Amino acid sequence: MVEETLVEDVKKVVERWKEKRGNLIMVLHDVQDRYGYVPREASLEVSRQLDVPLARIYEVLTFYNYFKLQSPGKFNISVCLGTACYLKGAPALIDEVRHLLHVEEGQSTKDGLFHLQIVRCLGCCGLAPVITVKDKVYSAVKRADVVNIIAEHSNQKVEV
Amino acid sequence: MKQILIQDTNGNLRKELRDFLVSLTSQLRDRSLADTVQVVTVADIGIYQKGIVAKVLPEGFVYGNLEVKHIPEIIEKTIQKGEKVAALALDRKNKQMRIVLRNCGRINPECFEDYVACDGYQGLAKALEMGPEKVIEEMKKSGLRGRGGAGFPTWMKWNITRGVSGAVKYIICNGDEGDPGAYMDRSVLEGDPHSVIEGLMIGGLAIGASNGVFYIRAEYPLAIERIQKAINECYARGLLGKNILGSNFNFDVEIRLGAGAFVCGEETALIASVEGLRGYPRPRPPFPSVKGLWEKPTAINNVETLANVPYILFHGGESFGKIGVEGSTGTKVFALTGKVRNSGLVEVPMGITLREVVFDIGGGVFNNRAIKAIQTGGPSGGVIPEQFFDTGIGYESLQKLGSIMGSGGMIVLDENDCMVDISKFYLGFCVDESCGKCAPCRIGGTQMLAILKRISDGKGEDDDLKKLNEIASAMQKASLCGLGQTAPNPVLSTLKYFDAEYKAHVVDKKCPSGKCASLVTYSITKDKCTSCGMCARVCPAEAITGSRADKYTIDPAKCISCGQCFDVCKFAAVLRQ
Amino acid sequence: MGIMKQDLDRIKEESGKNVSKNWIRVGYSTCGVAAGADVVYQVLSEDAKARGLAVEVKKCGCVGMCSAEPLVEVNVEGAPHVFYGKVTREVAHKIMDEHVCQKKLVENHIFEL
Repeated sequence: MVEETLVEDVKKVVERWKEKRGNLIMVLHDVQDRYGYVPREASLEVSRQLDVPLARIYEVLTFYNYFKLQSPGKFNISVCLGTACYLKGAPALIDEVRHLLHVEEGQSTKDGLFHLQIVRCLGCCGLAPVITVKDKVYSAVKRADVVNIIAEHSNQKVEV
Repeated sequence: MKQILIQDTNGNLRKELRDFLVSLTSQLRDRSLADTVQVVTVADIGIYQKGIVAKVLPEGFVYGNLEVKHIPEIIEKTIQKGEKVAALALDRKNKQMRIVLRNCGRINPECFEDYVACDGYQGLAKALEMGPEKVIEEMKKSGLRGRGGAGFPTWMKWNITRGVSGAVKYIICNGDEGDPGAYMDRSVLEGDPHSVIEGLMIGGLAIGASNGVFYIRAEYPLAIERIQKAINECYARGLLGKNILGSNFNFDVEIRLGAGAFVCGEETALIASVEGLRGYPRPRPPFPSVKGLWEKPTAINNVETLANVPYILFHGGESFGKIGVEGSTGTKVFALTGKVRNSGLVEVPMGITLREVVFDIGGGVFNNRAIKAIQTGGPSGGVIPEQFFDTGIGYESLQKLGSIMGSGGMIVLDENDCMVDISKFYLGFCVDESCGKCAPCRIGGTQMLAILKRISDGKGEDDDLKKLNEIASAMQKASLCGLGQTAPNPVLSTLKYFDAEYKAHVVDKKCPSGKCASLVTYSITKDKCTSCGMCARVCPAEAITGSRADKYTIDPAKCISCGQCFDVCKFAAVLRQ
Repeated sequence: MGIMKQDLDRIKEESGKNVSKNWIRVGYSTCGVAAGADVVYQVLSEDAKARGLAVEVKKCGCVGMCSAEPLVEVNVEGAPHVFYGKVTREVAHKIMDEHVCQKKLVENHIFEL
């Protein structure tokens, strides 16, 4: 689902960066901020407007973990797998999410509501293990808490 | 008004503590002191294994190993006369020393005046007066070495870049904190952004650069926001741009975002990423100081390094050089995490022992389990077992132990952590993050990881440990950049110190810490089982059956060794073997 | 004309004079916010305003005691200067009620590290 404003959106981003050298990554960051991921249509548009081959854009997109090529769903569940979180039980949390939502890492649930993402260190190691859902951060999460965290968001009205 | 703070770390009053409190309050009441003395239980005074601990305010005396019989003396001496009861007093020295974190938590990071009030931009003013040569001279006196990992002397880096001719030069602040488990850079960027900007400006002045770049992880939105605000503020006040502080020094700064690639901590890869390309490292030489960003001479400094710079300029290199030990001066910030009681950021002078950091500052291991080792340096570092904890912290001393200072992650591992599992974790990280450009790192890492997986699955073969050593040494020698060269370190150092643990996995097919699921079996002892049924309720595989009458049992065929029954059983009836 | 050295000195001197004697600092870095510092900050500043208290509530960086976040540092005349950790909405109200107003320390949340 890509909005009709795509050409305009990309134009705004490109306007902002076109004078700067080495702007590709920054442009892609802005696109991802806008859409939550980098849709193929947007890449094509960036390629056209920046006059950069599409292959070059995908070369960058696929190299960096941060860029997403698929929509992260309404609620992106990020489980931190930094060292502190790992030691304090993050793998069990990932298991639990997989088990409850029937998704693997990088996948969304069928209804598009949840997406499971594994991230590298959110920098909150003192609160390990950490899960974030959308912008809400849950700290010192136990396996048994996962079901409640998911329930909390399943019941929420999804804002459009 | 006086206060007596009583430590109650766990929040549940043990009987002795309760008796002590009751007796203390009633004795205060008997002496009509109840209105002028507040007894308050507090979460933490920072002293452990010393029985009941109390602190009396405003005097600040700390007493330990308290018993009810001590109460009258404390009241008579300390409360009524303000004197110390020497026999009970504990000497509590603050072992931390704040230079990098000097303003973090003290000032409003979004307020320019707050920073200036704490001597902000005075280091820059001094540097402008001194001129580039003297700035570098001052840095040399300070002995400051890079805090990002390699520990290259900062003055030397600046001096080399200064020496390369060229009208355009760059200085980059590396804020792509990649070590999972270290977050001091984030904390400094968020808590004291101006200090890093000031450090970058001083560095720019020293090397002759008029352009600075902040390269920051995109995963740190708040840090980016605060740095951007601080930069805007500087421009608005004319502290960035042309003729800074009335001098002929011009300097511009912009932010570029990382996008989650560990390899971009490597200087040449970072430069490629700033240029908007894949973060591929390239062979050196030429070094960035000669040919860096856009082929121009470039100096790259880490956030923590730069945060030290204004302090050094303001207080003088010599006084900074007196902190710490020979070869490793100043302080280091560590992100003390893992199985430690008080996890958090600590800043300590170099030369302090690991034991002091872990036990005196960190409060030892969480839940009073036995400590096994600490891991420093993240995926490029290694483990240090407890017998070496009396080593003083320094670049060389940690290297001698087979680890590195790194960016300052310090992860505490306890008896429940399995060394094979830890090295699998770190190596897995490096394999994921390997850019794939050179074969030793790409192939070597994958092969080592396959072996480690095999070992933790109980399928280890006799010559696996030998193979691990061989591949590791090939990777160290032949990889193109730091990532590949250091990726085997966690494996090598665990092999070195915990050989027996590896052998237990390979030969006996046992995981001594009970972490490797395939090597662990769970069972329930009938004599301890109280038939509460908790285990059966949490079991995700429905492998536990039973009833009130005939107790519970685990069906080994269905058990997936997740260990939830073990964690949940309050009666230690679930056995792990 | 940009800022000069004298301006820096002047700002420094002036802020030295204007230091408020009563202040509360809330650790407002990623870890603090993750643990709920935003709510705590909001409660404290609203409480201070609603009661017309002469206490300045400020956002600050992280002092490093991450496991105790959200962390609040309180300095008001007539009561000791302390850090409160694991502060919730309720504890924030208590800090205003008991510490700031009654000059009594709040139970169970002080971290004297």
